[in-house]
Amino acid sequence: MRTTCPYCGVGCQVEPTVKEGRIVQVLAPDIPPNHGALCVKGRFGLDFPFSEKRLLYPLVRESRREPFRRVSWEEALDFVASRLLAVLRRRGPEALAVFPSAKTTNEEVYLAQKLARVLLGTNHVDHCSRLCHSSSTAALSRSLGGASMTNPIEDIWKTDLFLVVGSNTTETHPVIGAMIKKRVRQGARLIVVDPRYTGMAEAATLWLRPHPGTDLFLFNAMARYILEEGLWDQGYVEERTEGFAEWRASVEGYTLEEAERITGVKRENIALAARLYATTERAGAYWAMGLTQHTKGTATVQALVNLALLTGKVGKEGAGLNPLRGQNNVQGAGDMGGLPDVFPGYLRVADQGARRRFEGLWGVGLNPQPGLRMTEVFQAIPQVEAIYLIGEDPVTSEPYQDHLKAKLEALPFLVVQDILENETTPFAHVVLPAASFLEKEGTFTNTDRRVQRVRQILEPPGEARPDWWIIQELGKRLAQALGRPWTLYLGPEAIWEEVRQAIPEMLGGITYPRLEREGVRWPCPEEDHPGEAVLFQEGFNTPSGKARFIPVDFTPPAETPSPEYPLVLSTGRVLYHWHGGTLSRNSQLKEAYPELKVEVNPKDAERLGIQDGEIIQVVSRRGRIRARAWVTERTPEGVVYAPFHFAEAPANRLTLDALDPISRIPEYKVSAVRVEKLD
Amino acid sequence: MRLKVNGQPVEAQEGSLLLDVVDVPTLCHHPHTETQGLCRLCLVEVDGRLLPACATPAREGMEVWTDTDALRTLRKTLLEWLALTTDLSLAPELQDLLASYGADPGRWGALTVRKGSAPIRDNPFFLRDYAKCVNCRRCVDACGDGIMGVYALTLENRGLLAHPTTPLDRPLPETPCVFCGNCVQVCPTGALRPLGLEV
Repeated sequence: MRTTCPYCGVGCQVEPTVKEGRIVQVLAPDIPPNHGALCVKGRFGLDFPFSEKRLLYPLVRESRREPFRRVSWEEALDFVASRLLAVLRRRGPEALAVFPSAKTTNEEVYLAQKLARVLLGTNHVDHCSRLCHSSSTAALSRSLGGASMTNPIEDIWKTDLFLVVGSNTTETHPVIGAMIKKRVRQGARLIVVDPRYTGMAEAATLWLRPHPGTDLFLFNAMARYILEEGLWDQGYVEERTEGFAEWRASVEGYTLEEAERITGVKRENIALAARLYATTERAGAYWAMGLTQHTKGTATVQALVNLALLTGKVGKEGAGLNPLRGQNNVQGAGDMGGLPDVFPGYLRVADQGARRRFEGLWGVGLNPQPGLRMTEVFQAIPQVEAIYLIGEDPVTSEPYQDHLKAKLEALPFLVVQDILENETTPFAHVVLPAASFLEKEGTFTNTDRRVQRVRQILEPPGEARPDWWIIQELGKRLAQALGRPWTLYLGPEAIWEEVRQAIPEMLGGITYPRLEREGVRWPCPEEDHPGEAVLFQEGFNTPSGKARFIPVDFTPPAETPSPEYPLVLSTGRVLYHWHGGTLSRNSQLKEAYPELKVEVNPKDAERLGIQDGEIIQVVSRRGRIRARAWVTERTPEGVVYAPFHFAEAPANRLTLDALDPISRIPEYKVSAVRVEKLD
Repeated sequence: MRLKVNGQPVEAQEGSLLLDVVDVPTLCHHPHTETQGLCRLCLVEVDGRLLPACATPAREGMEVWTDTDALRTLRKTLLEWLALTTDLSLAPELQDLLASYGADPGRWGALTVRKGSAPIRDNPFFLRDYAKCVNCRRCVDACGDGIMGVYALTLENRGLLAHPTTPLDRPLPETPCVFCGNCVQVCPTGALRPLGLEV
């Protein structure tokens, strides 16, 4: 049976064959987005639902000093409801937070945020996008009025130049990476901007290797050069944008000379990249965490947006601004309102019209105050007293692990709803066992806005239940106690029907029967609408219909190298693993990549007397981890790279919790560390 | 554009291959790996010449014959030779084709040497069982230009001794292989197969 891969945002269609309770083979059908291709995770990593670490029964305890007790669903849900209600009555809605999961379906995210807003009255709703593309969505929303890829994946075949920035595409979105590389073999150009020598850098026509955290300077210098050389699209700027004059003045200081000094990239290469991007009609920008995970993440993405507007690249086929979304349903989690400031459809909670719409639909008055972002919620403990956490392992994924653990220790009530035991379950008061993607129905929305079906192939093990069922049952108890309205749905399709009704302009035309054959992209207002492929061809979703230039200035990272901590640590992922490792390290994939390897440049290794394969320690102001050194030119001199998948050697014990002022994303890509020999 | 296939007029779209227009068997062709012109099963007769339908663009006014006695004999012989040298036990589609062409590999006598050796298990995900390989090259093309651009598979040797494997026959983990398994998906004979299928 066909379903959607649960790993990354490409949303590959997969057909797993299950025999005698295990997956024996995974094939891919010849339909969008992947047309038969997969990566190792989709092909060989779908067996985590069979792991021994599956959570099988509801577990409850009064305090962290006690062991968990196995209880019935009835008892577990009653317990959660009574504790949440006690916090609500004593401290009010601001003391409660609900985190829906970008790994769960649209229907489940919709229901979780509805529970938070309708029953608990809180807008402290957020999901893991806070840690990945919140900078992109912030910049794109401000400038264009949209928070997604502007162009579809198929546009890769129409693109003549790719500007790929801070995206290790062949490892993190491998099927898209392979498409881009193939288009380059057909003659397109590929400009890669990345401090690391990635698979994309290897395939590049032109590789720029800036110092970590200096991309903003690079983009502003490219823009200034394009202006100076008269290579910009004057007609487009006049017709379709605003704020140009003010912005133009802001890039005056970004000369090629200064850019070379700050970024370390030769000025003629910056000029060449600028010239190629500006003069290629069909030039598409693609990016990921290398841009966003900085204290100036939003400003850096904004600099790229400005560059694209200057050269007229948005609203056109084969071009556009394309953030490659990470999780299988992270696009959907935002679309469904799994965010502190917006309802489903990105309608602002602070906007009276938007509130009226949802008050009408849900039958209850709604909180007009935007909630705290996920990173802020953890910092607000113990003012925040209870967190309902779905499908996430913050102990591994949030920065500055020791600090986060102390915060969780101080949290009076934590509900963890997940499929597998992870590093956060030990902090829980209640553990609710959820069904995996193989065991439920629903939809995921992939990186290019394609809503696709998730289909049930197996029964959930033990007493595990689909997230939507758990949320619905909890909601029923809260609603009864509070005397508030709460709908009981027959299943995911009934929830989806309410979503269609809530935001018809975006999803009204997408029905389950339509999704039988293949996914459909939003916006899709009518059932006979094919779904929009290229956004903003006519106008932008801003009040004026024009895109906005916004001036942004370069600032250094929050923590720069010092004599004591002379190296920069950058964190990220590898091909074989997924985020906190909960899924991939409980699958066949663990054999291919069993332990942490920290990339060290040969010059740094020589200076420190470190051999390839030697066990080293990486130390920051916040902690130390032990890992095997991989001495390689992949990482530049002065920079060590550590994937964050490994709970026994967590890279996030080293990272710092300095946040971007707008998106509140942590600066995962730059912390100061030193490397020590073990001796 | 208009063509004649086996004497009948046929409409074809600009840019199509003969394979899109005529109904002939094929083994090596695959739309995503872009493999073409290797297995010769799709040979058709055009103006007295034999051409592979998978590698020949359709042209206005072509007269194409797909099922002459000579072509049937040719396909039958090719299939028999494949069956003689190769273990086709996990290739049901090829077996059906053998049956429909009335192939009788035995008529060539017993062969002393068959292809391949023991299956190679050098990675956690799939095995390579070259006794089942018909040299269609789809795996090489899926890994290379067709899909991935990784080039962890290649053809070793020349002529009759040519067969797909890794460069210098290295174990897969020592090659640029990313274990996407796209080679496994396009393999028509089970020569590449997931370890999950092995009990």
